[in-house]
Amino acid sequence: MPNNTNAIQVTDLCKVYRVPVREAGLTAALRSLVQRQTREVAAVAGVSFAIQPGEVVGFLGPNGAGKTTTLKMLSGLLQPSGGTVQVLGYTPQRREAAFLRQMTLVMGNRNQLQWDLPALDSFELQRAIYRLPADTYRQTRDELIGLMEVGDLVHKPVRNLSLGERMKMEFIGALLHRPQVLYLDEPTIGLDVTMQRRIRSFIAEYNRRYGATVMLTSHYMADVEALCRRVIVIHHGHVRYDGALSGLVERFAAYRQIGISLAEPTDLSAYGQVVASDGGRTTLRVPKADAARITARILADLPVRDLTIEEPPIDDVIEQVFAT
Amino acid sequence: MRLIRLAFHFFRIGALNELQYRVNFFVQLLQSAVALAVGLIGLELVFSHTQALAGWSQPELLAVMGVHILMGGIIQAFIQPNMLRLMEDIQQGTLDFALTKPEDAQVLISVREIRIWQLVNVLIGVLVLISALIQIGGQIDLFAALAFALALGLGGIMLYSFWLILTSISFWVVRMDEMVNLFEGIYAAGRWPVGIYPGWLRGILTFIVPVAFAVTIPAEALTSRLNPMSLGLAGGVAVAMLLVARLVWQRGLRQYGGASA
Repeated sequence: MPNNTNAIQVTDLCKVYRVPVREAGLTAALRSLVQRQTREVAAVAGVSFAIQPGEVVGFLGPNGAGKTTTLKMLSGLLQPSGGTVQVLGYTPQRREAAFLRQMTLVMGNRNQLQWDLPALDSFELQRAIYRLPADTYRQTRDELIGLMEVGDLVHKPVRNLSLGERMKMEFIGALLHRPQVLYLDEPTIGLDVTMQRRIRSFIAEYNRRYGATVMLTSHYMADVEALCRRVIVIHHGHVRYDGALSGLVERFAAYRQIGISLAEPTDLSAYGQVVASDGGRTTLRVPKADAARITARILADLPVRDLTIEEPPIDDVIEQVFAT
Repeated sequence: MRLIRLAFHFFRIGALNELQYRVNFFVQLLQSAVALAVGLIGLELVFSHTQALAGWSQPELLAVMGVHILMGGIIQAFIQPNMLRLMEDIQQGTLDFALTKPEDAQVLISVREIRIWQLVNVLIGVLVLISALIQIGGQIDLFAALAFALALGLGGIMLYSFWLILTSISFWVVRMDEMVNLFEGIYAAGRWPVGIYPGWLRGILTFIVPVAFAVTIPAEALTSRLNPMSLGLAGGVAVAMLLVARLVWQRGLRQYGGASA
């Protein structure tokens, strides 16, 4: 039973990998057969945070920051090298059935549905594995199918579904046992904008209805903005920011990117920092506060064919802020 | 009971999966027929030169062949597909899904896959066995039948354990695919009673790859040449192998949890 009020409590969490090192070339490969040289890499180096029940937290950081490693330790797949993890009062790495029944892991780039069969058959299998009573199973299933608006698609073989439809089914399958803790690792990766929005509102609704705790990693800032009031940013295995999303955007996305297409190549460095220039297409980085004014000036001064204003990608922002 | 119900669900899914590819059934039928014909011709050839092979008459060797086909069908239907899937899951990291389920992971990875068309071989094995027993004549008493069933079951447990140990090695060594070919090669040797092989090979076929226990001993049970000691030994080895397999699997899982993501 839960022995504290936090849904997730992480203290000084560390994960050190032993990776083989060897130089390129055949000789080195042969030598490593005899004498394996390894090097220790700290993927997670002393991470601490606490998450309240029902919170939706964005877990951000560039590739290789330690996000997935942390999520895997939180779900009991990896043994921590140091520190402690408590989820709903359980120690995940013990993999107790009572804990596993209350959590789920959704990975956007992997799926667990039977490829050749209708999703409904895979759902039945989940029911058997989680030993769900027939009536609660049917109720949850129909509710989730309704929420996702997938209707008759559940009768179609999964291989005939689009990527987005398949992801919807993944979500339904992963939530049939009504988990209280959701780890979502890039759940919208590769999906089109409409589908991303659909998945997002589904997550929000599930969180609202069942009061579930959600940890979400995503490369899409829009996912995070729509779902998470709080974000935890990690980089090189350390927590670099833990707080309100508004604070993060203000602090780190202090720039806007303006993309300008002109009839002929022109030097635009007078208007802002040129990030990229490719023929008639130039990308400028300007302070957020000046974006509107500079845009107006460019439109007035130059024969602009096309102009876009974008927030820099979250990864760029994080990378840039933490590069120092 | 739990295990059987879970296995039944996976069985159902596996059957649904395979029923979509009916052509596989005919391919399997053809394959099994060819294998059977080759086996029978081999047997004919041997017995055109001699009356008995290491004390086994022709119908008795036919019985060995029947058990060999039957057991081969069981391996290919239930054991091998699960282990190949496990290998793949370890390589690709998809084992995560099995490990986040509230069920013993070993149970889960052992019942997930089934190739129902391989049951054709089980059926053919039974038919060959029956025809062999008719040729041998005489009565099969209840005791012999039970001993046969027990020996077959123990053999199945040993082969499962052997496969799980082999597959678990892929937690440390990434590429294990070649092992499948190796196993098939060694299993093919089980078509003949292990008694005909030289001592060292008999040792390998008994204690390293438990083909002797899986094929020869059940056949012995049916041809009234079973030494009760062998059955007792089979029981002991089966339990020991199951324990070792469990241990290696658990060590492997720990390795998986400690290794790179």
